Amino acid sequence: MRIASVIHILGFLLMFLAAAMLLPIGFSLYYGDSDYVALLISAGITLAAGIVAFTTTRMSDDLRTKEGFAVVTFSWIFMSIFGCLPFLFSGTIPSITNAFFETMSGFTTTGATVINNIEEVSHGILFWRSLTHWIGGMGIIVLSLAILPFLGVGGMQLFKAEVPGPVADKLTPRIAETAKILWGVYVLLSAAETVLLLFGGMNLFDALCHTFGTMATGGYSTRNASVGAYGSAYINYVIIFFMILAGTNFSLHYRFLRRDFRAYVNSQEFLFYLSVIGVATLIVGAGVFGHYDSVWRTLQHSLFQVTSIVTTTGFGTADYEQWGFSSQFVLYMLMFFGGCAGSTGGGIKMARIYLLVRFVFSEITRLIHPHAVVPVRIGNNVVPRDVMTNILGFFVLFMLVFVAGVLVMAVIGLDMPTAFGAVAATLANIGPGLGDVGPTDNYTQIPVAGKWVLSLLMLMGRLELFTVIILLSPFYWQK
Amino acid sequence: MQILIVGAGDIGFELSKRLSHEKHDITIIESDPQKVKRASQQLDALLIEGRGTSYITLQKANLSEIDIVAAMTNNEEVNLITCQLAKKAGVATTIARVRNPELTMPDFIMTPQELGVDVMIHPERETADAIVRLIRQSGATDIIEFEDGRVQLMGVRLEQDSKLLGTPLIKLGKQFGNPPMRIVAIVRKQETLIPGGQDVLEPGDQIFVISDPGYVADFIALAGKKDTKIEDIMILGGGLIGQFVASSVGKEINVKIIESSAEKSEEIAEVLPHTLIIHGDGTDYDLLAAEGVVDMDAFVAVTGDDETNIIATLLVRHMRIPRTIALVNKVDYMPITTTIGMDAVVSKQLLTVNAVQRYIQHQQVAAIASLPGIDAHCIEYIAKAKSIIVRKPLKDIDFPSNAIVGAVLHQDEVLIPKGDTHIVAGDRVVIFSLPQALDNVEKLFK
Repeated sequence: MRIASVIHILGFLLMFLAAAMLLPIGFSLYYGDSDYVALLISAGITLAAGIVAFTTTRMSDDLRTKEGFAVVTFSWIFMSIFGCLPFLFSGTIPSITNAFFETMSGFTTTGATVINNIEEVSHGILFWRSLTHWIGGMGIIVLSLAILPFLGVGGMQLFKAEVPGPVADKLTPRIAETAKILWGVYVLLSAAETVLLLFGGMNLFDALCHTFGTMATGGYSTRNASVGAYGSAYINYVIIFFMILAGTNFSLHYRFLRRDFRAYVNSQEFLFYLSVIGVATLIVGAGVFGHYDSVWRTLQHSLFQVTSIVTTTGFGTADYEQWGFSSQFVLYMLMFFGGCAGSTGGGIKMARIYLLVRFVFSEITRLIHPHAVVPVRIGNNVVPRDVMTNILGFFVLFMLVFVAGVLVMAVIGLDMPTAFGAVAATLANIGPGLGDVGPTDNYTQIPVAGKWVLSLLMLMGRLELFTVIILLSPFYWQK
Repeated sequence: MQILIVGAGDIGFELSKRLSHEKHDITIIESDPQKVKRASQQLDALLIEGRGTSYITLQKANLSEIDIVAAMTNNEEVNLITCQLAKKAGVATTIARVRNPELTMPDFIMTPQELGVDVMIHPERETADAIVRLIRQSGATDIIEFEDGRVQLMGVRLEQDSKLLGTPLIKLGKQFGNPPMRIVAIVRKQETLIPGGQDVLEPGDQIFVISDPGYVADFIALAGKKDTKIEDIMILGGGLIGQFVASSVGKEINVKIIESSAEKSEEIAEVLPHTLIIHGDGTDYDLLAAEGVVDMDAFVAVTGDDETNIIATLLVRHMRIPRTIALVNKVDYMPITTTIGMDAVVSKQLLTVNAVQRYIQHQQVAAIASLPGIDAHCIEYIAKAKSIIVRKPLKDIDFPSNAIVGAVLHQDEVLIPKGDTHIVAGDRVVIFSLPQALDNVEKLFK
């Protein structure tokens, strides 16, 4: 383990984080809030820590796979530690546990909050809260790959460790170039959504915050009633549209922008993703029939909730806990699905779910024809055996972590729906769950220990389990 | 530049690695999933699993944006078809690795244009040429030529009785009347140093000099080497390299080839009528002794197996054969070859990569060569009117300490630069540099 290299990269990221903390100051001054002081102090401390870490260490040769896992996991942890300073210093969230939870929830694009009344939080802090989503959405490491020249070949290891999905797509010969493209597409889509939200009557502050929440599939809003507070069908549809885009593999957007207009249609995963949204919307819609005065409004709200949950965003326009059991159950199931591989969404990912289903069918065929050669396919491509094994392993691990999480929550004293909801909603990076952490509630009343466990689950979920769990293995630390 | 490399075997992998370090964008097509995996883990390149002979696969590599296609598989036919397809698709430069010597003969029935290949690289031929140079110049450990041999980079190991020992380099030049050569590197205990005027040479040092080829023989004598006249050589391994060496050294040298396969021995015997072919195992001490290995002036081990080559050369070095040359393909073995007491080592990969690179030029780089086992490069830059290097005389330029100017080609004349030398636009400058200084050197020539 070359700790010096790991610290060197962390140092760079902290310097970058410090720069990001300066961005909300504009809004703070514009709205006449005093939280810019807290932001400045936080930025100063973060910058100082970053400079010390960066200048006292040196990068050794290329990073090995092993260091890659440590770099990625520790980056996220330290970003959250320093990222919570503005909440502490401004007094918005005085408790360290709560502030760390809120920041981890932000960076991992979970969107689970401990703030009771968001509308009274000052603008600078609120903007910082949403900005953590946006930074975490496309990934801290992917961003640093785009701007850090010194990562070299080791960059691919980091990229694989952070980008969600069974196989990380490399779009160009150089990893730095791929990272730039992904961030470029991300910025472009974010700009488009901001403009469209401005047309819908939001002010710039709200439009940016909601864009950050959407494109990162995060879910932090600036209103207590989330997106529902605007009561605008236009805004709902804009956000639905961009949630769907954010939950799509970003390499498809890139191919589309490169004039490969069949990119979406050619992607089996994307078609599966759309079908899941379509079917789920119909079932949820049927379950809430009569709740709304028109079919269109029923569909609009069903579609919004389905998209919000399946892409792991967690925005709300309605309290789905008031809906029937069939609707609630479908939404609960969708929490596990998640977005597409290579998207900003969390969860198990569409590609994995699709392949698991295909795998089960191929096993059935094999039972009927014991000598049949039945490769698992996605679209026209045969999935290599080691990838399939990895997916099965991931699924089992996801379920184990889920069950263990629920068990811990139960021991801590949560009731059944709350424990199931909280664990699923944090592990899949969604945000609102069920019971006491449902769409109209928040995570304030979860005990301190529970918040730390949920923070860990959010990190595991964002980095897709293996990256974090590897560090817990004693073999990892052996020479 | 955008470069597509087909085949990530030994040569394709090394080539990709080198070109990727030089800021080219590399895409690789490889059919073996294991090799794809290895390359994707160790190289910053885009990997595509498939065959270069499939146009669909080539299309996946975005052929329209590729500037150079280098087909480096060990299958000549695959390489030729790949280049034909690429040429047809409009790729500017195609490079194919070939084996068959017929292809590069001047009276071959098809022109390179008809074959769709701009450059044919012949790794076995390149290796054989390097071996022949080392046989002719038996005191050297490495010889690399620039500008068609007008400038030479040569490595020599200093003997106990060398006249160069014990005097600081700054005085050495005067002592020998400022010869047209410059010591550009000293390899001491596996460490490569760029020498300064105060450095003193020690016995056992391997030194690298850039020089006018005319001065080489004198220099080797100064290094304490006896330039043995080579009359009899034994070649272990009757593959293509061995055959090329045997046929290139000329009739004045007696060649014995030892080949382990009976069938192949007969084939070679047919092709090389003037060479004695012996069928047997090259690591068999009795066989070597029976064939008079002790009386040989040089021993060349060029079987396809690195370990055999290494062991066989160590074995015969033990018998005090003045000159041994071994083919070692595994790049990882290079750093230890000196330590374990081997003489000259050639690497097919590095030679091929060096050869390919002559055609894949960086804007200001005319040639680049790397040496087996040493982490340094010898690069020939072309000075431009806007380069920093032409602004002032050399001594006033902030030149990186881990690099050194070896020679300057000014209007067809080879100069060994001094502090007051002023490089002008159009000059070709041969520089020896450690990896960490490469970026800074490059800036001087931008």
